[in-house]
Amino acid sequence: MSKFADIQIDPGIVKRAAKGDVRAHEIIYRAFSTPVYSICLRFTKVPAHAEDLVQETFIEVMRSIARFRGEAPLGSWIRRIAVSKALMFLRSAWTNRSQSLADDWHEVTEGAVGNHGVPGHTDDAMDLDAALASLPDVARTVVWLHDVEGFTHKEIAGLMGKTESFSKSQLSRAYLRLRPMLEVTENNTQPEGAVVRSY
Amino acid sequence: MSSDRKDEEMICALTANERRALQRGLSELAETMPPRSVWHRIREQGEAEGLLRQSGPTSRRFWFGGTGLVAAALLVAIMLPGLIRPPADMGITVPQNLPTNTMEVSTLQTLMVQSRQLESDLRSLPDAPRVMRASTVATISDLEDRIAAIDYQLNGPDVNMTSDDRTLFWRERVRLMNSLLQLRYAQAQRAAF
Repeated sequence: MSKFADIQIDPGIVKRAAKGDVRAHEIIYRAFSTPVYSICLRFTKVPAHAEDLVQETFIEVMRSIARFRGEAPLGSWIRRIAVSKALMFLRSAWTNRSQSLADDWHEVTEGAVGNHGVPGHTDDAMDLDAALASLPDVARTVVWLHDVEGFTHKEIAGLMGKTESFSKSQLSRAYLRLRPMLEVTENNTQPEGAVVRSY
Repeated sequence: MSSDRKDEEMICALTANERRALQRGLSELAETMPPRSVWHRIREQGEAEGLLRQSGPTSRRFWFGGTGLVAAALLVAIMLPGLIRPPADMGITVPQNLPTNTMEVSTLQTLMVQSRQLESDLRSLPDAPRVMRASTVATISDLEDRIAAIDYQLNGPDVNMTSDDRTLFWRERVRLMNSLLQLRYAQAQRAAF
């Protein structure tokens, strides 16, 4: 499902990048900057932070690409760097706020009574993007890593330095929040019966 | 993995259909391109940290020189047999590296021809449908952007390139054009039904 996996790069370009060739790095950047920026923006919600994370990610690519062996696709490797950088940033942000990873549900849920838990919006006026953005940082990150990037709970737990149960619990709570966004057609037996409302 | 799945079923709070719909909806959310300035910042930092290197300033001259040499050699190869004596008799020695250069030129020309053919194929497709999936629009836009970036590298007045670089860039251009054509073709087929 992830966009990273669909992007192919000529191995010759990777070899050149490993030697520090600026043009090869630019090709790699052009190929992956959009998914990297998108994932960073999903996690942080702040464009300036996402830009900084894109910069950190590609600088790390420059530093480490000589050690990239090509056993996994380049996209998966870059995605892991981007996720790692973004989580590191979120951890530092949480640390700065002196909060634990589990705490950030409180400030959202307290003001979210009614409207199916989505503050200030009716179901019809809200799209999936906004619903996702309304989730706490941790829950949003878990949903994205699990449902879009295909990480397992074990992997997410490892990346976040938490337990698998923590990851599952965050996902479950996030699903409850996102559920009003989904409607299932009545008497439907086909797998595609459930649709995301489009606006 | 199976216990993981079982746990998920117990806690996920969504039916299977709802989950599929959610996952599909999430994966179809539009991606966002970073501002153009980000690459310049990355490049500046990469250069400042000594992580990047530029190609030598004489590479373009080398390329033109190499092309000239190949062209001259080809001319000699075509004209000489019909003229007086075989090259060996005249004391002309053919440089050892010529076949390689000729092959490089040939590869490059093949890639250019392929690229032109793909562009022509692309133009022959019907116009893009008015209504498109956001993810398709993003993918097409991304491919076009990457092709434009390569074109800039190939045509930039201040860009020096070796023949290897040029071949690599043209190969990448052909690959991206191919992806774009396949995407547009699939789109045209969907629109036809």
